[in-house]
Amino acid sequence: MGLREYVIRRVFQLILTLWTLVTLLFILFRMVPGDPTSRFVMDYPSDAERQARIEELGLNEPLYIQYIEYMGQLLQGEFGDSAHYRQPVSEIIFPLFLNTIVLMFTALIIAYTVGILFGAAMGWFRGSRFERVGIIATLVARASPEFWIGIILVWIFVFQLGLFPRSGIGGYGGELTMNFVDRYINFDFLRHLILPALTGAIVYLATPALLMRNTMLEVLKADFVEIKQAEGLPERTVLYKHAARNSILPLVTVAAIATGAAMGGSVIIETVFNWPGVGREMVASVSRNDYPVAMAAFLLMGTSVIVMNFVADILYLYLDPRVKYE
Amino acid sequence: MSYAVMTSNSRRRFLQTIGAAGAVGTAALAGCFGVDDDEDDVEVGDEVPELQFVFPTSGSNPDRNELGGFISENLEELGFEVDRQELDFDPQIQQATVDLDFGLNLSGWGGTPERIDPGIFLYDMHHSSNTGEGGRNGAGYENPDYDEIAEAIMAETDQEARRELVMEAQEWLAMDQSRCYIANEGGVHPYNAERLESVNPGLGEGLNGFWNFMEAEPADDVDQVTFGYSSDIFSLNPMQDLTTPDRQFIRLLYDPLYRFDEGGIPTPWLAVDEPDVSDDGTTFTVEIREGHTFHDGEEVTTEDVKFSYELFAEYSPTYATYLSGVEDIETDGNEIIFQLEEPDATFASNALGQIYVFPMHIWEDIDDPVNEDDEDYIGSGPFQFDDWEREVEMQLSRFDDHFEPPNIERLIRVPGDEDALVDNIESYEIDMLGVNPTTTQIDRLEDDENIGMAQFDAVGHAFMNYNMRRDHYKDVQLRRAISHCVPKTEFVEEIRGGQGSVTHSPIAPAIEEWHNPDVDEFDGDLDAARETLEDAGYVWDSDGRIHYPPDWDDDDVQMFLSVDG
Repeated sequence: MGLREYVIRRVFQLILTLWTLVTLLFILFRMVPGDPTSRFVMDYPSDAERQARIEELGLNEPLYIQYIEYMGQLLQGEFGDSAHYRQPVSEIIFPLFLNTIVLMFTALIIAYTVGILFGAAMGWFRGSRFERVGIIATLVARASPEFWIGIILVWIFVFQLGLFPRSGIGGYGGELTMNFVDRYINFDFLRHLILPALTGAIVYLATPALLMRNTMLEVLKADFVEIKQAEGLPERTVLYKHAARNSILPLVTVAAIATGAAMGGSVIIETVFNWPGVGREMVASVSRNDYPVAMAAFLLMGTSVIVMNFVADILYLYLDPRVKYE
Repeated sequence: MSYAVMTSNSRRRFLQTIGAAGAVGTAALAGCFGVDDDEDDVEVGDEVPELQFVFPTSGSNPDRNELGGFISENLEELGFEVDRQELDFDPQIQQATVDLDFGLNLSGWGGTPERIDPGIFLYDMHHSSNTGEGGRNGAGYENPDYDEIAEAIMAETDQEARRELVMEAQEWLAMDQSRCYIANEGGVHPYNAERLESVNPGLGEGLNGFWNFMEAEPADDVDQVTFGYSSDIFSLNPMQDLTTPDRQFIRLLYDPLYRFDEGGIPTPWLAVDEPDVSDDGTTFTVEIREGHTFHDGEEVTTEDVKFSYELFAEYSPTYATYLSGVEDIETDGNEIIFQLEEPDATFASNALGQIYVFPMHIWEDIDDPVNEDDEDYIGSGPFQFDDWEREVEMQLSRFDDHFEPPNIERLIRVPGDEDALVDNIESYEIDMLGVNPTTTQIDRLEDDENIGMAQFDAVGHAFMNYNMRRDHYKDVQLRRAISHCVPKTEFVEEIRGGQGSVTHSPIAPAIEEWHNPDVDEFDGDLDAARETLEDAGYVWDSDGRIHYPPDWDDDDVQMFLSVDG
């Protein structure tokens, strides 16, 4: 099987997976009791007003018709209007999505940079006290709930040291702009970004660190490491330039999937730090039965995971010539 | 004879229960009790069916969830079987309010100044016309005699006569217990006492109150005040479905003809004086201020008023109903004349006090006012709209040309998670909070001398509905016995840490003008509950399970005490 055929087949699988995801989501959300009008039920003077609203939203139609209409919309790249905000879903989700991406990318970059270097060092110094303490620390970080790490960081950096603001993405009352540079490239935003990003980094750090350590242990047994050492290269050069490089491959998949999942944001980090991201909106829209927004948010996250998985597979082909298309 | 009646009755009930509980279990149970009866020689009727008790989850409402647990325990101790159904916010509304699938429903009504007039609590929530799905009379209380009183309350324009009716209505409701009113929850909202010299918490609303935003006094160098709330505004457009927080900010941007003062009385605002009501009570003439302008500088005229009333009447899902009795609206210079079909005691508080004046020159060009907004939200209110990013913040500023300008120059509304917002108060990042902190947070906040605590009473209440559409909640004595199992004082003192007050009536004690303090009281007294049931002939089997009287007849149940009393 050639590369082109492989890619085509994977794309086809990807579409099938996405379609299954959409259909499952569609059914699941409608199985939840209530509809977008439930919340306002006591505010409608009579049931007639509520029924009118349900009709306006098209929720009185049989489920399969709603499904066909939704799929039609989706194929044209439209998520429809929020039942709650009466605004196009894209207008609501886009700024939140941007906030989430900025936060999660920062967290992931810190986690994977530190995690990989740290994991490589743990593998290299196998059996040392450094490794033992390192493993325990990583496992503790991994096992700690996100909100707990967040609260500890808040307690230390906000209430004890007074270094960072408690929550939000900018100083209250500042200019509200959608210009990327004005919005994210400034000192005030950075101050707000640090604690939530650090929380995310601590949580995500364990996976690359432990994985890196394990592959390092394998790689270190290889002959070429011994040869490099015999060449008299400095230890650090052998560690990071030769051994670590060859251990990094499995991390590509993990990093790609983590990136996909991170697109959905972390509900917990966003809640603890009042970060206006897509994760929080996802939960809120589910509790309000705002189907279009909830669908879009989940779809965004699901698609990211699926697509990033695909990207990881393709990347593998280039990174490791031994991988075959089978 | 009585035995024969019981048997046939039993069979009917037995057949009913099969449908609900499944044949095998019920048949087995029925057999057991047959034996029991012979052995103990106690004549009993059927078991009182399981009570289906719907109450909030701890995530949805921790205090009421705890109370739900206490009530269930009391009921079980008394010999009832309780099916506890803990539900989140939306599912609870869907199941109990829309589908009416409940036996007991622990819920509540929020109270805003619009609800200080007793009309809503006494008429909407107890009149037989509102018992449908999603209706406000969730209990399904259909008492023709009470309907008469409730209708009279809505039509009576003489204040003293109306007051007497309101007192009587509360007595009846307490006797009949279609709903057990539990507590006015009240609360306390924290604020930064360094940056704000004073605040003015409103009845039922605390720092969300209109008069707080108007009268809160910032310290000398403070030109921007931040206000935190647990959710963002959904919409500032009254042609859409609105939640309470939406209304609380819409009223800052737009002016009605009359504003509710701190006691809930509509007082002239855009209007210069009280409305001139014709002798037959069907014509209301209102004169409006001259020279007041919208935020964009255009003058507010009676044409804008007429346009707005017509706009609301056509499109607003919640406000249109207040205008359904309006036959005609005319303008005459600075006067606007409302012609009603029949006299309406609530027209001033419902319509004149809640319909906002929109600029005609902007909204007449909006084709679909339900789905399109004026994106600048131009009104004539004391604050003007500056900017808004969802989930981030909303920015308002003082409208300096207003006839009653607020003290706050710039007002920033920050939505977010409650715990994060309480922390924000503690780290002095926001100035006021419109939600109640938890009891532990309150203890912590009270230790900080820079933080002030604004106490306020509630207008709304927590209550428990009985589903009177179902046979076993039709008996007034059974309902009264269950109400005795609700530990109201414990709820306020223990669960809520002393926040709020116990109530026995839908009209809060804080509304002194309308509250009737002298009604039947129920407050976690199991002996009284047992006595009530014994007096009504209920009996207990050897397992302590409660049964109907032997000669029980569903069709001959006393539903209301108020009819005799």
